[in-house]
Amino acid sequence: MIPDALHRDLTTACGPDAVIVDEDRLLVYESDGLTAHRHRPAAVVLPRTTEEVQAVVRAISRAGLPIVPRGAGTGLSGGAVAVRGGVIVGTARMNRILVLDAVNRRALLQPGVINAHLSEAARPHGLYYAPDPSSQTTCTIGGNVAENSGGPHCLKYGVTSRYVRGLSVVLSDGSVVSLGGMGREQDGYDLLGLFVGSEGCFGIATEVEVELLPIPETVRTLLAIFDELESAGQAVSDIIGAGLLPAAMEIIDGETIRAVEDSVFAAGYPTDAEAALVIEFDGPEAGIDDDARRAASLCEETGAREVRLARDEEERLALWKGRKKAFGAMGRIAPDLLVQDATVPRTALPRILAGIQTIGRRYGLTVANVFHAGDGNLHPNILFDRRDAEELARVERASKEIMELCVEAGGTITGEHGVGLDKRDYMPLVYGPDELDALWGVRRSFDPDGLMNPGKVLPDVSTAGTT
Amino acid sequence: MSGLHGTRAGVTSAPPSGVLAQAVAAQEDRLSNCVHCGFCLPVCPTYVRLGDEADSPRGRLYLMGAVSEGRIAASSDAFQVHIDRCLGCRACEPVCPSGVEYGTLLEAAREVAGQARASSALTRALLWAMARRWVRRPVFTGGRFLRATGLAAAAASWMPTGALSNARFGLAMLAATKPWRPPPSVDDGNAVVVDRPGGDGERSSVGILVGCVQDGLFGRINQATRRTLEVNGYVTVPVERQDCCGALHAHGGRLQEARRMARANILAFEGAGVDHVAVNAAGCGAAMKEYGTLLEDDLDFAARARSFSARVKDVTELLADRGPLPGAPVPCRIAYDHPCHLLHAQGIRNEPLAVLGAVPRAEVEVVRGADECCGGAGIYAMTHPELGGSIGRDKGEAVLAAGADVACTPNPGCMMQIGAVLRLEGSPVATAHPVEILDESYQRAGLYGRRRS
Repeated sequence: MIPDALHRDLTTACGPDAVIVDEDRLLVYESDGLTAHRHRPAAVVLPRTTEEVQAVVRAISRAGLPIVPRGAGTGLSGGAVAVRGGVIVGTARMNRILVLDAVNRRALLQPGVINAHLSEAARPHGLYYAPDPSSQTTCTIGGNVAENSGGPHCLKYGVTSRYVRGLSVVLSDGSVVSLGGMGREQDGYDLLGLFVGSEGCFGIATEVEVELLPIPETVRTLLAIFDELESAGQAVSDIIGAGLLPAAMEIIDGETIRAVEDSVFAAGYPTDAEAALVIEFDGPEAGIDDDARRAASLCEETGAREVRLARDEEERLALWKGRKKAFGAMGRIAPDLLVQDATVPRTALPRILAGIQTIGRRYGLTVANVFHAGDGNLHPNILFDRRDAEELARVERASKEIMELCVEAGGTITGEHGVGLDKRDYMPLVYGPDELDALWGVRRSFDPDGLMNPGKVLPDVSTAGTT
Repeated sequence: MSGLHGTRAGVTSAPPSGVLAQAVAAQEDRLSNCVHCGFCLPVCPTYVRLGDEADSPRGRLYLMGAVSEGRIAASSDAFQVHIDRCLGCRACEPVCPSGVEYGTLLEAAREVAGQARASSALTRALLWAMARRWVRRPVFTGGRFLRATGLAAAAASWMPTGALSNARFGLAMLAATKPWRPPPSVDDGNAVVVDRPGGDGERSSVGILVGCVQDGLFGRINQATRRTLEVNGYVTVPVERQDCCGALHAHGGRLQEARRMARANILAFEGAGVDHVAVNAAGCGAAMKEYGTLLEDDLDFAARARSFSARVKDVTELLADRGPLPGAPVPCRIAYDHPCHLLHAQGIRNEPLAVLGAVPRAEVEVVRGADECCGGAGIYAMTHPELGGSIGRDKGEAVLAAGADVACTPNPGCMMQIGAVLRLEGSPVATAHPVEILDESYQRAGLYGRRRS
């Protein structure tokens, strides 16, 4: 339920078909990609332009309700969920590529443009958009900006912040500000850098300018099969240690292999293996085969029972499809899953992987690992059935223990999925009170009244008084 | 902990809506496969256009779950509107990593929705007529009369838009069922004469589904199916007492009626003892390949339905399996569009192209966005004129962009939808089924005049 005046304002701003207030319909917005958190919003509004977002934000802010930005709702930290009620501002209708400037390798986008659609549009110009989260066929650029998304290839190419060059942002008071942008090197503080990864707590990006890269000249993709998960972790560490820089290194563990191989995205991973390591090199033709050969022999030295090179583009795509659709394929094993997203030093990988397996066993839970091994970004997926309350409680405890294990090893609580709602209470594991206060200070300078995506990222602090 | 619970599903106040929810609840295992990853969103024509998650496959599955858990009523606007608004194109199935059987769930949901609230009079009348041969026969005869006399075409072009736009679209669909006359081949004089394969190797037997709309308005496609299969070494066997396949009824949630027809067809084709059941309508083929699921709870028929489904093949699969034999040139430009129930529901992408590939000098271009629904989806264009119209216009544009003489798609519903859209746009581009073009090619090759067997 929202006040009549607000309903009227939203309708005036965007038209009646863009405003959803029916309680039943709103149910579908109670979760994002992480179904463990469910909170129904009071309304959803679907604007089409910066001006409409501005009008909508002003109206919600006048009513004093929370403003919750949402892209495709594929996030995995509960970031696009209205945990304190309020209005979801969805960007699904803001899906136009406004400018594709091939000469300057830039694109100007509305936030609802799907990540992979940008690369498709750029391909005829020999360009692509580098960050490639596994959900890239459906997730939106706006969501990528909010989460500072990575993806398998961020090992070599870096994450979203490296590619965002300018933003138009609507702040919670309805003002529109430009951060960075074509031909404007930033003077003073890097506010653009601050905004990328702010998880919807600073404002809503309504236009995003990104940098595109030339498509690499050539690619080599290897698949190494291991009988032990830890050896695969060791191989990753050794490859980086040897000074090689693959574009991506991904580990898919035995549980995940079996789920993927059972799905329409079967990639040909042997189902009796305990780990598959996908290694990709890209760049100029010169030297790439040497790199691939060196990586292959390092895998063999750490105990790979088989290493093979994708023979053609079709085989390469199949290998990747298996990896990228792994999350969804888990639905074949269990009705619900909680995916964690911790980052640990690469050298600690073998030990942490063994530790995670031990925790899973202790709580009687299946933990499937599929992750960006190259940058030590783990994604343990805990499988469960939410209809079983007792199991749910075990999931919570196991999840927290895994997190603590990673932090203890010098890691952190999120690699790329964001803190959101799910990991908000883990923040004190990595930040002390003074640091959290400082983070609150930054947040308040963007959103003094605490209306933008409240209840996310930072734990409520009783001392958080001064605005 | 911020808690994993949120508002726990299934433990909220409203009790499950009794019997009505049972059909959806019975599908709970199928439903629980959805992990909410959202990979289905960008391929859903309604979500792409409306941007509301309730109009996405994930959202609709969520609403089904909510009904099954008793969180919302089956009669609620949310459930009724969004389940009804689905095209049933199943583009969400091949992109689903969890393998959610969306089509089966949609049919169950439609049954629940239909019991909670009556569907539109138009839908009811149509399904009632299709289920009864004595009604549909004279209806189609009337339709053929309107088509042959040009009355349908004329009325569709005179009629004003607005209040009568539904009737206008319906007449345009009817007019669009007119056969395409390919231009004669300029080098007809020295046309290649192709020999039929002589030897009697393994000649498997085929029964052809005659269908309802296909029989009523596209008899020529059934004949072309028979002729082209025979040229390619199949023995066609007439199958008496077969019925409409029941696809329209199943899609509309009339599952009891669909099951009755399914059983009749299983009996009829079993009686004929054929190796394959050839289907030339993608929607029918998809439904018949799923009789096994439709009748899974029928103790007498479950096993028979599974073995029946295993024998069902699209005509293009059977032809592609044999090559097919090339015919004589039919110089023309063809825009090919994938029917959803062939591509998404049956996973058939290349076989129809192989059929067209056997026609020399037919240039084939796959329509841009051919993976997306044309908006036909049964009578969607009439029950949802605005959204169906927008989807149809997008398809029409893509077909015209291919600059072809004929739009080719192996499903009667899609042929009528695309044909009507093109006609109302004032375009002369006709529609045809791939076997019609292969048939023409065989005709020109003299394959039918010099029968050896």
